[in-house]
Amino acid sequence: MLNNSNVFEKIYTEYKVLVYNVALNYLQNTEDAEEIMQDVFVLVYQSLDKFNHKSSLKTWIYRITINKCLDFIKYKNSQKRWFIFGKKSNNDYEIQHLSNFEHPGIALENKENAKILFGVINQLPENQKTAFVLSKVDGMSNSDISEIMKISISAVESLVFRAKSSLKEKLSHQFEQYHKKK
Amino acid sequence: MEKEKWIDTVFNSTNGKTKIEPDDAIFSKIQLRIQNENRISKPWIWVAAASFLVLFSLNIKFVFSESDYKKSKAEQLASDLSKTNQLY
Repeated sequence: MLNNSNVFEKIYTEYKVLVYNVALNYLQNTEDAEEIMQDVFVLVYQSLDKFNHKSSLKTWIYRITINKCLDFIKYKNSQKRWFIFGKKSNNDYEIQHLSNFEHPGIALENKENAKILFGVINQLPENQKTAFVLSKVDGMSNSDISEIMKISISAVESLVFRAKSSLKEKLSHQFEQYHKKK
Repeated sequence: MEKEKWIDTVFNSTNGKTKIEPDDAIFSKIQLRIQNENRISKPWIWVAAASFLVLFSLNIKFVFSESDYKKSKAEQLASDLSKTNQLY
């Protein structure tokens, strides 16, 4: 138990920044990212004995983080659907204003454009969003992404390509709308 | 042209992004959650679930055997009546 705790502490120190930043890029909310971080490390602690070393520890932790983020989004979306019938939760503001996220790690001059980018990233299908966030925002290689997502490298390339095309289309539409308003 | 330039600027807005350090308090929150979840060990949860299942199946069995008993009593009465052909 003590040994497990020591190992866990080392793992936490090594991967806390990775988990937090992936969750932050994915969920675009600091409080949600902290919550996911807790969920991920609790699960890592509980499953440490079951970890079969088929993939690297980093890949395993990445996969847990992405899955937890996806579950969290599904949970929030289901809450959102229930709002129609019941009382709105305290998180309603966050759900409606996800695209207003200002990433704390982005330079001040890029903040406004990054906000637009994060807004359109949220409109992508789940797997395209995962591939794009890991590739473009986290700067991971396609082979690492393929291991995390358990798909082939060519499938990752295809997802990233489709995500980029879709984002360009959405941004182009936004640009035209913005100029019409002007 | 202007549109393409703007799209590229938006696309590259996350370049040079710095990694954010999470709050130090998160580790103690995680430790607290681990301690709380360890308080009830998993084998005991399974024992509780199994006990509930046994109790539930016994209840079901009891309910059905009771209805069978009532049914057989009614059948017995009906057969007695048909044998004697006496209605009163």
